[in-house]
Amino acid sequence: MRILDQLGSPLIRRALLEAVLVGALCGAVGVHVLLRRLPFFTLALSHATFPGVVLASILGVSVYLGGAVAALGLVLAVAAIGATRRLEASTATGVALAGAFALGVLLQSAQSSATRNLAGFLVGDILTVTVGDLAMTALFGLVVVATLTVFHKELVLSAFDPVAARAAGYATTRLEVLVLACVALTVVTSLRAVGTILSVALLVTPALAARQWTTDIGPAMALGAAFGAAAGLGGIAASAQWDVAGGSAIALAATALLAVAVAVQQARRLVGRQAWRRGPASPEGVPLP
Amino acid sequence: MARLLLDPFRDAYMRRALVEILVLCGLAGVVSVYVLLRRLAFVGDALTHTIFPGIAIAFVVGRSLFVGALLAGLASAVLLTAATRIRRIDHDAALGVLVGAFFSLGVVVVSTRTSYTADLTALLFGRILTVDTTEIIETTAIAAAVLTVLTLVHKELVLRSFDPIAAEAMGYRVVLLDLLVNALVALVVVAGVRAVGTVLVIALLVVPGAIARLVGERVGPMLVVSVAAAGLCGYLGLAASYEASLNYGVRLGSGSTVVVALTIAFILTAGAAALLRRRGAGRAAPGAAVTAAP
Amino acid sequence: MSVGYGRELALEDVSLHVAPGGAVALIGPNGAGKSTLLKAILGLLPLADGRVKVLGRRPEDAREHVGYVQQADTLDPEFPVSVVQVVLMGRYRAVGWFRRPGAADRRQAMEALAEVGLADRARDRFGTLSGGQRQRVLLARAIAQGAQLLLLDEPFNGLDATTSDILIEVLARLRADGVGVVMSTHDLAVAHLTCGEACVLNRRRVAYGPIGEAITPGTLAEAYGSRAVLLASGATVVTTNG
Repeated sequence: MRILDQLGSPLIRRALLEAVLVGALCGAVGVHVLLRRLPFFTLALSHATFPGVVLASILGVSVYLGGAVAALGLVLAVAAIGATRRLEASTATGVALAGAFALGVLLQSAQSSATRNLAGFLVGDILTVTVGDLAMTALFGLVVVATLTVFHKELVLSAFDPVAARAAGYATTRLEVLVLACVALTVVTSLRAVGTILSVALLVTPALAARQWTTDIGPAMALGAAFGAAAGLGGIAASAQWDVAGGSAIALAATALLAVAVAVQQARRLVGRQAWRRGPASPEGVPLP
Repeated sequence: MARLLLDPFRDAYMRRALVEILVLCGLAGVVSVYVLLRRLAFVGDALTHTIFPGIAIAFVVGRSLFVGALLAGLASAVLLTAATRIRRIDHDAALGVLVGAFFSLGVVVVSTRTSYTADLTALLFGRILTVDTTEIIETTAIAAAVLTVLTLVHKELVLRSFDPIAAEAMGYRVVLLDLLVNALVALVVVAGVRAVGTVLVIALLVVPGAIARLVGERVGPMLVVSVAAAGLCGYLGLAASYEASLNYGVRLGSGSTVVVALTIAFILTAGAAALLRRRGAGRAAPGAAVTAAP
Repeated sequence: MSVGYGRELALEDVSLHVAPGGAVALIGPNGAGKSTLLKAILGLLPLADGRVKVLGRRPEDAREHVGYVQQADTLDPEFPVSVVQVVLMGRYRAVGWFRRPGAADRRQAMEALAEVGLADRARDRFGTLSGGQRQRVLLARAIAQGAQLLLLDEPFNGLDATTSDILIEVLARLRADGVGVVMSTHDLAVAHLTCGEACVLNRRRVAYGPIGEAITPGTLAEAYGSRAVLLASGATVVTTNG
């Protein structure tokens, strides 16, 4: 394994740490993304951070700030388009996504050094992670995880049964905005590691793998974080081994993990079905949505 | 004014770009309405990403990018249709996984090459200004094929979009209709992605239909509005990007200028529709109260 | 026949027969398997065992001649389609692939709309109609289809009196023309008005036969459990929450 020989390099050590942190954060937050059926919205969010990032790099301010402002703009745009009622949510999301992404590309093309940073924004550039980036990832990650933990039961209730949550006196819109803000912050945090396009992979895939094993939200978040961290480790190792792009290797490692999780579950269910055929004593039927 | 609208197209390369854009806009304008009716915005976006590895592999092994995109497009149409039919897994989650996996595969393949950044950029922006006659012919052929199929199965597709249970009860194989639509969307992506890039293709698949829905109440008129809006924005966007780079020294990517034109058109239409409805509602309110009585 | 979803059988050992012009009401609580039975007749669900024959054919082959009327509120009210276009959808199988509905199809659609009292709303958007009117449009679609067997899933749920009257009238006319009807319902009064036979279900067949014999306080109590309340006058009231 070439990764073991390279551990002496601070570059690789930082990349590994960043990949594990981002993977764990995305894996945990991803469970809420699945719970509220937000994958498309997350994709839109990740595309929409793009103009903010480009503008920030032109203006010379923090790319995290630019990304966060742009993400907020997208949330508002989707809400505004959705309010017309004639267009359902996915169309509203699609329109906002296309507009925001084009704005980013336009800004980028108007800049003189058109292609220089583009790939880095889009698919991440994990080897350039600085200690400052690492601190930022850790800080944002803590904030997001703390928020999701503190409001855990309210968030789960409002995702499962918004009407009951409203009847119980919770401000469901505010809870929804809270989740969206957490997802947006996670996307912005993962920009360095996996870029705008691939953050959706890290936000969906490990969480989906975790959901194959448990339907309980809390344990699923922990398991998702573990899968995400494992994908981060495996991705960086693969990237060092075969000299391919780091962010994409992480996304592919996550996909491989999901494939294994699904295959194992499928095998278990096959065995369970045969047991059921033999006798009426049926094992637990795990109903997933 | 006439100078602004006609001058850009004096040169042959700009005329070719215009033809390519107009053919694409006409095609996507039509398909966009079906994307809206079937709520396929995510599937359309997913397809622009899943086609990437086909292009990347074709590029690396030195084969035709068109064939690479075509094969990847049709393969991902099949996969996406299958993914949305797994009952245990939420559709959106399945699409998210496929987008991540396919796109990463493409990036990994491309990243083995040194010209990594430039290739990725070409895929995103497209290179409409260097489009040649062969590409225009390929695009036109795809457009003709897709539009012919859509004309033939229009009524079945509308039925399936409106009432899938009834379609199935009447004996239609809904999964085949879904596969067909996904394949058609994939073909549009294949036709557009080399010339105008993924950014513009996503926008062309979603925005014209949304504009049409703001204006139209029936599928027929929506098709007309959608094609007109896409064509007009394509033309204006191309002219504007030419004008900006030639006379003002601002380099605006032509594809993204077209998308921004479409987005502005959407915002204007939404504003106008909201205004009209407010005035219309004010007038109709007393009448509505009367008709509601019996 | 038996029909299963996954590991659990949703319906076991049910058999019934609908003659041309006959009508069977499916009575039972929520989750009793009424919709499952209708879907099995359409051939949309795999059978665990037993068989279904529709108009002498396999259900998959008979669908063109089977009309299915679902609850209208499952449909998107924002969909850009007019009332007459919805009714015309019933003609699509007869029109066939690759062709457009012609003048004769339009005439049939308009006649069907007139029969449910909505001819004047033909050009309005489907979503602008009231819930009862939308239900009538779906009935008109089944009429336009020229179905020989009509399956209705809770067609009378939460409907206005006009729509109920029209539904009862139209079903009587269709039966007189030899169309068979299978209808799931909670409404015992409507069942008596529209159907000659009843099948009381709760995961299995509780009772089946002429409606007066199948629906008795005893069978209802068996199907609905404690939710069937026997009144002093001898009538049975079923309380539902759906």
